[in-house]
This record gives sequence, C-alpha cells and structure tokens, in this order.
Amino acid sequence: MRDPILTILNGGSQTTLQDAGRPGYRHLGIPKSGAADRLSFALSNFLVGNSWDAPALECTLGGLHIRFEKATRIALSGAEMWAQINGQNVETNRALPVNKGDILTLSFARIGCRTYIAIEGGLIGEPFMGSVSTYTPASLGGIEGRAVRSGDKFHCAEMENIGSQSLPTGYAPILSRHIVLRARSVSEWSWLTPEAKRYMYTSPFITTPDTDRMGARLIGDHIGLINKTPLTSSPILPGTLQIPPDGKPILAMIDGHCTGGYARALQVITADQWLLGQIAPGSPISFRRCVVEEASDILRGRNAFYAGIMPGFWF
Amino acid sequence: MPLKPQKTKLDPRVEPYGDNAVLVAYDVLGYSEKASNAIHQLSDTLRDMNLWTNVVPAYDSLMVTFNPMMIELSSALNTVKTSLNNLSKAKKDKPIKPIDIPVFYGGEDGPDMENICKSSKLTETQIIKRHSSRLYRVCLMGFIPGFAFLSETDKKLHHPRHATPRLKVAPGSIGIANWQTGIYGLESPGGWQIIGRTPLSIFDSKRQEPFALKAGDQVRFIPQGKV
Repeated sequence: MRDPILTILNGGSQTTLQDAGRPGYRHLGIPKSGAADRLSFALSNFLVGNSWDAPALECTLGGLHIRFEKATRIALSGAEMWAQINGQNVETNRALPVNKGDILTLSFARIGCRTYIAIEGGLIGEPFMGSVSTYTPASLGGIEGRAVRSGDKFHCAEMENIGSQSLPTGYAPILSRHIVLRARSVSEWSWLTPEAKRYMYTSPFITTPDTDRMGARLIGDHIGLINKTPLTSSPILPGTLQIPPDGKPILAMIDGHCTGGYARALQVITADQWLLGQIAPGSPISFRRCVVEEASDILRGRNAFYAGIMPGFWF
Repeated sequence: MPLKPQKTKLDPRVEPYGDNAVLVAYDVLGYSEKASNAIHQLSDTLRDMNLWTNVVPAYDSLMVTFNPMMIELSSALNTVKTSLNNLSKAKKDKPIKPIDIPVFYGGEDGPDMENICKSSKLTETQIIKRHSSRLYRVCLMGFIPGFAFLSETDKKLHHPRHATPRLKVAPGSIGIANWQTGIYGLESPGGWQIIGRTPLSIFDSKRQEPFALKAGDQVRFIPQGKV
C-alpha cells in the first residue's frame, strides 16, 4: 500500500468521511447521507481543483487535529472555525498548501456547525452502494462506518484534478447564527392548532443538545395538534419537520430515518437543505413560508449559479 | 337475500410534498389490505418508469422524489395521478413465493413474550401458533436499514410499544407494535415488544446482496426449537 496522505491525531466531537451520498435507496431504509452541507462540501473540493463530489472530511463543531504525511493542497469551507496550520491561523474558502509533517487543527465553530476539509485528489473510503459516505447507525462507508479517531490514516484517491482555484466573488455562502429555512406546509399541516400554525412561521426555535446528522429537536412555542391520532409509519425526507404529541418539533437531517410516525407539518425547500448541515446544538432557527413557484425558481437559479463554476453540481 | 360484501371506494390524496416529491396517502386507520395492495401495485408501476429518484412505499401511503431540474412538480403530480387511475386496469400480480424466517420465540430471544401473554391471556404456545400461522407482507423497509415493517398480526396479539424504548435491541429481533409486527435488521434502540429472534441475517452490508427482504415480499415465520 502507498503511504497515507494524512493521519488523524484527534477526531474531535465527530469527523466523518463524506461524499455526495447514496441516493435512491429510501425504500430499503437507507438514507442518502453524504455531506450534511452539500454546498460547502462542494466548494471545498472546487478550491483544490477536485470534482465537486470527491470524498472529503466533515468536521462537526471542531476538535480535529490532522498531521499531513505528504505535501498536498487542502481547502476548508463551511462553518467559521478557528483553524490553524502549525499554530498559524488560516482562512476558509481558499486553497492552502501543506507540507509533510504539517499539523492542521480545527478548534471550535464560531458560526455554523460543520467544516469540510477537501484534499487535492480526494480521499479513499470503504464504498457501499456507490458511495463512501459514512452512515454511523448502520456502520456504512468511511472507515468501518464510524467517525474517525486518533491513529486513523487516509490515503489519497488521486482522482482527476485541475489544480487549485479561487472562489469568484459572491460564491462563498454567508452563514448567520440564526438560521432561516424556507419551507412549504405539507401532509398533516391541517392537524396543527390555529395558534401552532401561526407560531410555525413566526416564532424562533432553539435546537436541543442532541442535534446531530439524524435530526434536531426544537424547543420554542408549543406546537399543538388538534388531531393526536398516531400516524401509520409513513415516508419522510431530510428537511421534514414532524410534530410529536409533546409539541416539540423534530427536524429530519441528512441521515434521518426514511419513515416517521408523527404529523408532518413542513418540508424545507431543496435549495435551503444545505443549511441543515450548519444547524448546531443550541442554534436559533426559524421557518419562512415559501410558495411552490418560488421554491422552484430559487432552486433553478441556485443550481445554475453554482453549476457555472462546478459542472454537474446540484442541490 | 344475502348481503353483498360492501365495496369501499379507495380514494387517496395525491399532493406535492415540498418541491421535489409527491405523496399518495389513503389515510386508513390501522391496516387495510386493499390500500396495501394498491400501494404496492402503484410502487411497481412507478418504479418501472425509471423517472423517479426514490419510490418509497409504506403501509397506506407512497412517496416519490424526483429531480426538479428534470421534471416540473405539476407534471410529476399528473404522472402519479394517471398511474393511479390505470391501476385497476393492470393485471393482478401472480402469487409470490413466501420467504421462510426461522424464529426462536420467547426466553432470551423474546424478552417481552410475557407481556403479550398477560395482555392476550394466551399461553406462549398459543401466541407462537397465532404469530406464525399467517403470511405477512413486507409493507415497507426502514426506519433503519433492514428493518422490515410487516402487515397486521392476529388481533389478540396487538400490544402497544414500550413507553420507554430499549437502548439495544438485538439484530434479528421480531417485535410487535400495536397491530404491526416487524423484524430488526440491525442492532438498534427500539420500543417494540420483542417476542422472538431469527438467526437469519436480514441486513449485512458486506454481503453481495445486503438485503434479505424488500418491500412487497411475503414472509412466513417458522418456529424453531421446542414449541
């Protein structure tokens, strides 16, 4: 085996290998997975000259220490984290040269939740159904299907690479502490009380500490239901907001279950789903009503905009 | 004059779900074999189109997702509605061969057998007999990979979930939740009443064919050991 490109010294709170995911298997109970913030993941790859969907590391909240075993180029995108190479602060959203023995540390996220570390040529992981995305609940992808830990070594995939690039003005997403998600009312919306319907699009919510890649529980105004019949297990998607009888909504994330048993009130529009990956524990979030024509127009516009610099990219 | 069996007309909702999915829902309370048949027929029809990014059948509902850059939502809705209207014209599927699932009931393999005995006032042997004497349809897969949600159990066996879910349910565990019965493909937390366990590996990511079951299959439980 060739020499590894990097060694994990400390995995932090949760760092996993991710790519664009394994779509199309929800009927088997397999969620798409992949980068929780698809846009920042794609941009980190763009910066080092990779195809937008090359496997990269996703660092949650920080605490990650990496030693590079060869000279290469890397890029960080996503959450605003305090990042250093050999103790020198480095910027996000630009290609960074690293040498053999250099140590990258991501300390903590100031704004957002997940930072992507792309490496020139991409990384190698264990494939399952066409993707190396790590899905920890079923131990799929990545390294043994788990978060990385101290001593893990990664090899470079040496995928086609066009050399590092800089991000044109206007392409870097601006994250804010309070995340606003545009959404559409769905299936069991009519089960909500009139007050709950009003709160849904006007009140802020705070995510609980157990927020992860599967989902987030939201604390805020009580979301009451007029119909408390348990729902027969039914399909849900990432970005579905379910309302359990206790009135505390549950937002499904990229690794969320394929089916749910609670009233489905909202669905976050496709163009805003990358933001789900930046929802940290304790984040304030709000929902804004979006009409269907608006949702389609936003998506077409955003897809065309980013595909302009990253061929084949879509949200 | 004998009463004719009443024909209830099934009329599902067909509606957008966000901007890239369509939901079909019959909204039946409990289990309806008629709705389940229609969902699986529709699922097969839609899957054959190679148009959708996901076709996800459930008990009485179905969701398709699509790439909104390729299909307009309105046209996706129309396609689903047309397929639904043409369902009755479709030929009945030929019967499929059931898959046998060996099960060790009770004891360590079925820690909640006692609960079902108490609520049903049946002996363990009677429960095993009732649970294993019918054919079940795999109505849907999920919530975790390899979890098989099956059709309705014998009425006497209905039992609510645990109020507090177990942190660990062994892979292969067979459980009951209200009128449903199901198989855990993986070790996971879970709130179903566990009455037995199969040594069969339902989900193995390292296997050529990782899934032993898929939605639409029929299964039969074969009691093992002393009964």
